[in-house]
Amino acid sequence: MRMAGGYRQQPGGSGKTTRKDGKRVAGKQAFPPPGSGGSDPVMAPRDLDFIPEMVGGREAQPAGAHIHDRARTGTSVGKSTALVDSNAKVTGQAWYGDDVRLANEVIGKILRSPHHYAKIKSIDTSKVEALPGVLAVATGADSPHQFGVLPVTKDEHAMAVEKVRHVGDLVASVAAVDEATAMEALNLFEVEYEVLEPVFDPKKGLEDTDEPIHWRGKYHLARTNVQKRVFQEFGDRSLVETPSASSHGKWNMAGVHHGFTEPHAVVAHWDPNGRLQLYTPQQVPHYTHRALATVLDVPMHQINVIRTFVGGGFGGKSDPFPHEMCAAILSRKSGRPVRITFDREEVYWINRGRHPSHIEVKMTADEDARISGFDIDALIDGGGFASFGHVTSYYNGVLATAPYELGSFHYTGARVWTNKPASGAMRGHGAVNTRCAVEVGLDEMSEQLKVDPIDLRLANLLPPHSRTISGFRITSNGMREALEKVREGSDWDNKFRQLPLGKGIGIGCGFFISGSGLPIHWDPNRFPHATVHMQVDMDGGVTVHTGAADIGQGSTTAVAQVVSEVLGLPLAMIHVRSHESDTSPVDLGSYSSRVTFMNANAAIRAALEIREQLLNAAWEILGYHPNNLVLNDRRIYYKHDPAIGVSYLKALHKAQEDKGALIASGAYRSPPMGGVHKGAAAGLAPAYSFSSYVAEVDVDVETGMVKCTNVWAAHDCGKALNPLAVKGQIIGSCHMGLGQVLSEKMVYGRTGHLQNPNLLEYKIPSIHEMPHVEPIIVESCDPEGPFGAKEAGEGPLLPILPAVVNAVYDAIGIRLRDLPLTPDVVFKGIEKAMKAAGVDDPLDLTPPRAEHGPLQDVLVKRASEHKQRDRARQRSEDTSPYVNGVLFGFDPNLPLEDQVEGWRFATEPDPEQLAELGLAGKAWLKKEQRHMGGDV
Amino acid sequence: MVGTEHVDMIPVANREIWSAEVNGRAVEVLAPSNAVLLDVLRDKVGTLGVKRGCDLGTCGCCTVMIDGTPRLSCLCLAGQVEGSSIITVEGLADGAHLAPIQTCFAEHGGSQCGFCTPGFLVSAQALLNENNAPSDQEIACAIEGNLCRCTGYQQIVDSIQAAAAIHRGEVEPALPASHPHPDPHPSGPEEPQMPPGHAK
Repeated sequence: MRMAGGYRQQPGGSGKTTRKDGKRVAGKQAFPPPGSGGSDPVMAPRDLDFIPEMVGGREAQPAGAHIHDRARTGTSVGKSTALVDSNAKVTGQAWYGDDVRLANEVIGKILRSPHHYAKIKSIDTSKVEALPGVLAVATGADSPHQFGVLPVTKDEHAMAVEKVRHVGDLVASVAAVDEATAMEALNLFEVEYEVLEPVFDPKKGLEDTDEPIHWRGKYHLARTNVQKRVFQEFGDRSLVETPSASSHGKWNMAGVHHGFTEPHAVVAHWDPNGRLQLYTPQQVPHYTHRALATVLDVPMHQINVIRTFVGGGFGGKSDPFPHEMCAAILSRKSGRPVRITFDREEVYWINRGRHPSHIEVKMTADEDARISGFDIDALIDGGGFASFGHVTSYYNGVLATAPYELGSFHYTGARVWTNKPASGAMRGHGAVNTRCAVEVGLDEMSEQLKVDPIDLRLANLLPPHSRTISGFRITSNGMREALEKVREGSDWDNKFRQLPLGKGIGIGCGFFISGSGLPIHWDPNRFPHATVHMQVDMDGGVTVHTGAADIGQGSTTAVAQVVSEVLGLPLAMIHVRSHESDTSPVDLGSYSSRVTFMNANAAIRAALEIREQLLNAAWEILGYHPNNLVLNDRRIYYKHDPAIGVSYLKALHKAQEDKGALIASGAYRSPPMGGVHKGAAAGLAPAYSFSSYVAEVDVDVETGMVKCTNVWAAHDCGKALNPLAVKGQIIGSCHMGLGQVLSEKMVYGRTGHLQNPNLLEYKIPSIHEMPHVEPIIVESCDPEGPFGAKEAGEGPLLPILPAVVNAVYDAIGIRLRDLPLTPDVVFKGIEKAMKAAGVDDPLDLTPPRAEHGPLQDVLVKRASEHKQRDRARQRSEDTSPYVNGVLFGFDPNLPLEDQVEGWRFATEPDPEQLAELGLAGKAWLKKEQRHMGGDV
Repeated sequence: MVGTEHVDMIPVANREIWSAEVNGRAVEVLAPSNAVLLDVLRDKVGTLGVKRGCDLGTCGCCTVMIDGTPRLSCLCLAGQVEGSSIITVEGLADGAHLAPIQTCFAEHGGSQCGFCTPGFLVSAQALLNENNAPSDQEIACAIEGNLCRCTGYQQIVDSIQAAAAIHRGEVEPALPASHPHPDPHPSGPEEPQMPPGHAK
């Protein structure tokens, strides 16, 4: 019959299973617990609340169906889940960098530069080597090879070669039997320096100098310290000529640090076979792996990078670091495991925090309150090394091209080297500062237009499935819903411009990439961004190998969840192994919010392959085609009669016959996207996240003290795989953003010295500074994301800054553009406003009030029309193409260049534009060496 | 280290036997007489759950309970607490039974990267030992010395409140993860629920 070779399982518990004579009743054997193993041996019914409507469950799908709907089993996805490694963390058993203790280990210490900028004339190590207890000494001579996180800007050495570039730059290192001896040894180095004239002010970095901090040969820009310059111009610049509203703001943003609680630490050990085992808390173990191979001159397969638990990263542990090289070199020389742990001060010397920035934003709106132009100029202070700066230079501009529809976009950016600790990538990489400037500009324009700032935004949003002015492909877009939710949640309409002096409310929005579209070390069209290996052996447990670096955000949990979801297994049966480069496939690591999107996608593909093998095995046993089989909690059954089925373990063992453990590999590669212009790849991502926050502040007008009291934070993360973690990310982002906008600042004194390299004077908000945050999850169901998910780690940081700055304006009527808004900055503004208003008591100041003009109705009408349009596009009912510019009357079916005279798409300035470029734009007045003629 | 100035400030100290009760176990180690408690706990006693974040008393990662009071082990000379009873994060659990505060931190998102978690757990446990019905403000005051860069504190407060409910006996504590799970259906499970959308 149809169940050839199979058998029928029946639920037990009813009726007799044995005859009077003690023999079994045929076909009535006791129902075995399906799939032994796992923490719960009993089959749980499918949780219909977590199965999409599309496939018959009860989970609402306001944004429509998703390609992964059929793989849903209602097991894990969408449920608040404790991080799978949290038990290790709450018992103190999680092993961070400094917790790796190997037998026979010795302690490494680093000699750091006392000068901002100097040539090293000589280093005498003889006294150090003579000190009893010193086992190895290393200097720049031991590490001639350069490295850097980006292949285009390798400008770092393990230890200084020729020059030191900032106070705290690495000069030499030593390994000794204990810390005290190593510290003493540092004192015995005799280094002769020739001090050079340092540069601290990024504006000075644009000028020619005798001794540029780095030299890039024929690509060097004249003799300046400009590391990277960017020019981008899109759209119709004639639109900005007759604005009905405009905003022009010049911003000074201080540099901020990630402030992760775990200082850097590394343990290097050359094992007896001559392989390097390197333990390090890294976000990007693979880049470290590559850099180690270059610096140490050994093949990559001779190195095993072991990522320890990471005590916070936020971008600050996403460079291959010189101290990692030092530890490896010292270990190679001494033959002993070497551990180097930073103290808090050293953490600030290595820095890689957010760039101190001078940002100028001009924007205009036309008579219909359409945004006719953004003109952004960003001069960013890169410090001594390139780090991620090449990308940051682009991100400062291009990530402002959405979520609004723009008539034109003009960006000039420059990153300069200065003699300070290097800036790099930090949560919200490159987008945070300009986003703040842009959102505050919109607030200012809405005031001139006499419209509500939320309605101004709602009427100018790009719809889902569209393209930005710079050619980014927007897929899902929950911006509108996010704005509506925070407006409702915060009771905006009854508060905005109506609160008394000292109390204010403000809005800000954000837009961020969900995974960088370009893997920087290989061809994106051939190799995947992420690969996941999966193995299921006879015990039924699933071992998942991924290189995704969990830095506390819960990427391991996300990967485990999606595997658990596809295979219908409890989370306890999924074991993610992600620590060692020996066992995990190559992965780019945790940056640009790519891990959940790319690794979970790869994991789903691998899990689907395992699932297929299981269903085929069940087909052999039950005789039903996999199309008619349902995978549920450790059981596979016929969909029209659940009583007919086979346990997961039986199916697994059937599938393993003749070949052993089931093995699958899944990979994710982003589709080809975006334009071909220079820099088109920067900011390109398979999906983008959107967010919108409303913040309420109290400003003490007598002291200038700002306190944020409430935040309504709506973030579009596509689909919340783990709502608990998403909320945690949103609240945590608020915390970090509030620090930047209200208290955190890397203070460089007049002599260029970093004055606050500790957590006492670098002011991270404590619990008393935290407002109540109401996290609101918006699910727009991204077509490409794993089960619809997008990023939630970085994007949520962006809106809090402008929301607070706008709220301060609402409270006291003063636009402040120096971040952070410490009491002295705010009070200076208050004093100025008192002078202007002619009052002696700050309590006599009047907060701003608003009346709506005729444009308000126009905007409300346009927003409601667009809402219908967006809904249809989000649900794929309307699949017509849409490009930025349609709001300005363009035909989306034609290339933009062909429609309007004056439409530009430029990545270099015209000669006639050179005169009017902003601060960073001045970099375009210089020529590269190769274009200057003469010898290079 | 930047510059050459502060090496000479480290005096050579005699090594002495230091004894205390750490997590209920009598400990005797040889340590310099000027050793900082944090160093002794990490390097000599081996309680690596006590974390070093700043050495300056600013982050709270190294918080341990000394005779029931939460204190910063990085600002405490080992000699000062000689003979006292010290509880670190490793001492919070009762055998395989995690303390309520530990399970609640895991379940309510109180721990993300986890580096500050040991300090928070000790501070919170000390609060709960004194007061099993703290207000949010009391919790804030108890953990004000602990910095967390990941969570924004809100889910930490949630976790502590949830643990307080267990301490008050309102909620049953969870069984240890290694505990064998009882089978609620000894004679087999119910008929599996029909998959949605498929009539028999």
